[in-house]
Amino acid sequence: MGFLGLNSHVLRMTRDKQESLLTLSILSLAAVLSFATRLFSVLRYESVIHEFDPYFNYRTTKFLAEEGFYSFHNWFDDRAWYPLGRIIGGTIYPGLMVTSAALFRLMWLLNITIDIRNVCVFLAPFFSSLTTIVTYRLTKELWDSGAGLVAAVMISIVPGYISRSVAGSYDNEGIAIFCMLLTYYMWIKAVKTGTIYWATWAALSYFYMVSSWGGYVFLINLIPLHVLILMLTGRFSHRIYSAYSTLYCVGTLLSMQVSFVGFQPIQTSEHMLALGVFGLCQIFAFVEYLKSKLSKEDFEVLFKALVWAFAALSLLFAAVLTLSGKIAPWTGRFYSLLDPSYAKNNIPIIASVSEHQPTSWSSFYFDLQIMVFLFPTGLYFCFSKLTDANIFIILYGVTSIYFAGVMVRLMLVLAPVMCILSGIAVSAMLTIYMRQVDPSKNVDKKVKKFDNFSMKSEIATAFVGMITFLLVSYTFHCTWVTSEAYSSPSIVLSARSQDGSRVLFDDFREAYYWLKMNTPEDAKVMSWWDYGYQITAMANRTILVDNNTWNNTHISRVGQAMASTEEKAYEIMRELDVDYVLVIFGGVIGYSSDDINKFLWMVRIGGSTESGSHIKETDYYSSSGEFRVDKEGSPTLLNCLMYKMCYYRFGQQYTEMGRPAGWDRVRGAEIGNKDFELDVLEEAYTTDHWLVRIYKVKDLRNRGV
Amino acid sequence: MARFCVALLAAVLLVGTTLAAPDTISPSVRVKQADRLVDLASQLVKINTQLVYENTGNEAVKYVLVALDENHRQTLSYINAILVEANKGGVKPLKVVETKVQGHEKSSNQLYRIELKTPLAAGRTVTVSLETVHAHFLEPFPREILQKEKQLVKYTGNNYVLSPYTVLKQKTTVNLSARNVESYSKLKPVTQTDSTLNYGPYENIPAFSYEPLLIHCENNTPFLTVRNLQRQIEVSHWGNIAIEEVVDLEHTGATLKGSFSRYEYQRESGSGLSSVKSFKTILPASATDAYYRDDIGNISTSNMRVMSDAVELNLRPRFPLFGGWRTHYVVGYNVPSYEYLYNSGDQYILKIRFIDHIFDDMVVDDAVTRIILPEGANNIQVKTPYPINRLSDSLHFTYLDTTGRPVVALHKTNLVEHHIQDLEISYNFPRLLMLQEPLLLIAALFLLFVLVIIYVRLDFTISKDEASENKLRIAGFVEKVLSHQLKRINAYDAYEDQLNKLKQIKDINSFNSALKSITNDLKNETQIIADHQVKLKADSPDVAEKVAELQKLDKSLKDVFTQQQTLYVEKLIPGKINRTAFVEVDGPLAKKKADIREKITAIVKNLQH
Repeated sequence: MGFLGLNSHVLRMTRDKQESLLTLSILSLAAVLSFATRLFSVLRYESVIHEFDPYFNYRTTKFLAEEGFYSFHNWFDDRAWYPLGRIIGGTIYPGLMVTSAALFRLMWLLNITIDIRNVCVFLAPFFSSLTTIVTYRLTKELWDSGAGLVAAVMISIVPGYISRSVAGSYDNEGIAIFCMLLTYYMWIKAVKTGTIYWATWAALSYFYMVSSWGGYVFLINLIPLHVLILMLTGRFSHRIYSAYSTLYCVGTLLSMQVSFVGFQPIQTSEHMLALGVFGLCQIFAFVEYLKSKLSKEDFEVLFKALVWAFAALSLLFAAVLTLSGKIAPWTGRFYSLLDPSYAKNNIPIIASVSEHQPTSWSSFYFDLQIMVFLFPTGLYFCFSKLTDANIFIILYGVTSIYFAGVMVRLMLVLAPVMCILSGIAVSAMLTIYMRQVDPSKNVDKKVKKFDNFSMKSEIATAFVGMITFLLVSYTFHCTWVTSEAYSSPSIVLSARSQDGSRVLFDDFREAYYWLKMNTPEDAKVMSWWDYGYQITAMANRTILVDNNTWNNTHISRVGQAMASTEEKAYEIMRELDVDYVLVIFGGVIGYSSDDINKFLWMVRIGGSTESGSHIKETDYYSSSGEFRVDKEGSPTLLNCLMYKMCYYRFGQQYTEMGRPAGWDRVRGAEIGNKDFELDVLEEAYTTDHWLVRIYKVKDLRNRGV
Repeated sequence: MARFCVALLAAVLLVGTTLAAPDTISPSVRVKQADRLVDLASQLVKINTQLVYENTGNEAVKYVLVALDENHRQTLSYINAILVEANKGGVKPLKVVETKVQGHEKSSNQLYRIELKTPLAAGRTVTVSLETVHAHFLEPFPREILQKEKQLVKYTGNNYVLSPYTVLKQKTTVNLSARNVESYSKLKPVTQTDSTLNYGPYENIPAFSYEPLLIHCENNTPFLTVRNLQRQIEVSHWGNIAIEEVVDLEHTGATLKGSFSRYEYQRESGSGLSSVKSFKTILPASATDAYYRDDIGNISTSNMRVMSDAVELNLRPRFPLFGGWRTHYVVGYNVPSYEYLYNSGDQYILKIRFIDHIFDDMVVDDAVTRIILPEGANNIQVKTPYPINRLSDSLHFTYLDTTGRPVVALHKTNLVEHHIQDLEISYNFPRLLMLQEPLLLIAALFLLFVLVIIYVRLDFTISKDEASENKLRIAGFVEKVLSHQLKRINAYDAYEDQLNKLKQIKDINSFNSALKSITNDLKNETQIIADHQVKLKADSPDVAEKVAELQKLDKSLKDVFTQQQTLYVEKLIPGKINRTAFVEVDGPLAKKKADIREKITAIVKNLQH
């Protein structure tokens, strides 16, 4: 604080002004930093949309920006899920698209002629800047402004959040974290003040959250949980009553306006906690009221009667509704949150997504670094100064750490609370030790009385130094992780060549663009669902299945086609009107997440429905129980459509020095079935590095030929 | 403007028809010698005919006529005639006009009038070189080929030079792209050497003679056609011209039949001969910041080479183009405006190419060039090197625009390399308008700051917030108290100085006079602080208490000072006390003073927070 004192002399500013200047500059620097650190991929590659889902979001945003909200709302997409189609307007959370389209329109209104793609690419970094600011406000409400600044700076570079919000990663989560923290901030404000004003703001930001991400369910369970805990700990008050009642009523009504959510808030079990707590609040308040009016004995009788009657009634009601199907059964994704093994055992399509896998310990450290250790400290400080607001953050921390352990992608929900608690920890510890660094300045009498420690200043200095070192190492770690792990667009692959220069593999776009330019406008393309969004967005062709895995049987049908022999597959492909088939094959360049490596999932999903009951996973293993593509592999595998499409003419290709022709660099094996011709397909296009292969389905043969 | 254009066009047409009427084929003119070079080495058919006209009549001839048969006329992209003068170097372009001739209105042949610079006198000869370029004339045959097959094309022409006059002597040379010729018409005399066919000489061929010439040969040169070109030129008076070209490209050679095999394409040299892997685009030498992308992002496979007279872009489409395959891309770059924009006062002239090079022997089916002029440009006039259709003007809005930038749109179909020529666009632009955009920015920022100032400085609350008002008021009082306290401390410092001085020089008179003002100051400050303390009491008893403590400490400090003063004045100066005794009394006093001062500082610090 020494230089501050100096500043006040030089600039002649009051303490308030100094503080706001400092806060403003730190906060704006953090906001700028959080934007800038997410630009690695743009600088290294280009301003391009990443991954899979963002392509769908980009496509819908483009549609919204061009066609307006009503046609977007009523959009029936015939490019996906052929022949079923998909009602886009009613099956997505439109918050993200509406936000970008609104920004886009606003900028065009000001004659800023920015491309919609650039709006989409830079939306997530922009919102993470806003998140930084909201985190500051929230932490300030919870603790103090110092902790707020630390938390803001931490969240601006935390890898767990960056992983989903780099430039180009145009996904719901990019804005949802902002919405979530905003709602929390408003909620804390509402709890503290007890005013309808703040509760309504909380409801509005909750509406924004609902409209942008399915993860709002976490929020609508956390807030009631907070209220419930406050009730149990005897902290329930009129403030909380008015805050929660307002939030629940307004928030639920608003959330039902999102057509994808519809009547779920009053029907499905995920939302029942909120409803129950809302009822409980009313009863609690009513009971309090009665208590104040009745004598003690009368009240007890009445109370018991009421409790029993209510419990019986609600049980009956719930049972009736569940039986009649009014209350939706627990959905699979939710079960897998509670029981990590549920999905794996029951729903192959959920288990096949890598981001639904349980989190490993190392990835906690990778994504959060020192915060893993600071988190408990923060919890300690919160417990030591327990308030209504702190109880909330404790609950948030504890529940989200559980969910993050269950599913990798929920690390995203954990990251903000880690930052907040770590911010509190760092700030609280520094406040204690900073005072001791220079004890001569300390004039607090109380402390002086117990002044019997030796080397106080030295220890304090060492401690501050250690914290500084940790924070610096955190910064380096975050930058490194961002640059190395989270900044590759995955649509363009890069590798180092032997002379150290960078080689780009742009095969995906090569293939998609070929499809777009050189196939008929109404061609139907069959591929595994991973590539569905990209094909519709980049190639603008009709596809059978995509990343919105809503119809398991349809995906299963595609899996069956891939896993069957050519003749069987031809029947399926004719049935589905397929014109082109697209497969990803990494055997030439050693790209390991290709279709052969995903193939077992296709078999499992293909075999999971009735029409695919003849497809058994065991048939695709060699006699020793392994999944092999070489001569030892099972004949079923070596003759299925997927194998043939991936390895067509690969048997003649030399890939590595000193290896025989047909050497698969991913599997590290010489393929088992080399010389074969395709009967029902013909090679339509194969990209430069063989990464994407497209086949044309031949017409039926003429009679007599 | 548009109406004026229409009127002008109508006038031109009117003049054209009236002039066309008297054209006749003069019987006295004949072609003495015709040398024709038919170049089939690329996708274009380029015919260069050198004609020696002779006037055998008595009257001078103002013009000569040339003819094209229907096939050639339909595919004609470019026609030009030059006067060849044997001894004088240099080229003199002649005017070529489409025309109709009496007696030949129904004929499928199209006649062109070449207007001679000086009339051809009787008995004299003149040499004219006629150049025609035809696009989409070579027909791939067979239309569909396999990946491993070569591309064969068919040319259908005339064995003789089609002329409205008798040709005395003529010969034709045909250049092919490869040695491999499937078949060719054999109207004798004819010879083949390497990739060249020589026809003729033929003598005394009557006017409009036609003998089909069929050549079926291999041609694997790129058959690329730009189906649609959108070129945009954005002029900025701040020194930059941004050019962007959106290109729809199609391989118009023999289409690919059957499957495409990447394996064969990579391994076998004879595979996909007619396909196009990459091509070169030549940009102006001053071009910078070039980009090459399409709908889904940057196309990473391209190279740029900067040479002394041009910038060469080696563009590789995302995929090799086989027959019938299409692609679409955008190329853009910046050039400095001083090379293209000239001005005198407020009058500007922009000289820039209507189209630019895309690849060698290019064919552009349809081109639209939009020239975006700076906001405020008016009186726009366009001068074109060849007839170009001017579309209606529009407005373009981009960064910091208010009224919009005028856009001139020009459209022409069927273009080849020979059309790469400069346009001239002249317009008026008041130079003061350059300041509009910076001023706009300044005004916007100014407005923003004013709004912030208003928001921060003025109180917009409807109801008064007692607590914060109170806090502010207390803070105000505390600030005043502290400032007065500072003054008081300064006064004490002066007091101390005086005492020290007294101790040293023992001048009691000067001490007394100095002390008077100091005590006065002290009294005043103490009184003011006491006043504030009273006011504070109502708002914040805590702070008032602290101030009271401050006052108490101050009083004791004052006492100590008085004691010291008494000691100095009454004991030390008269010398009533010895050295040791003095130190014994003075020491504790000084220490007490320091103690009190420290306490005061603590309170001040406390108040500051």
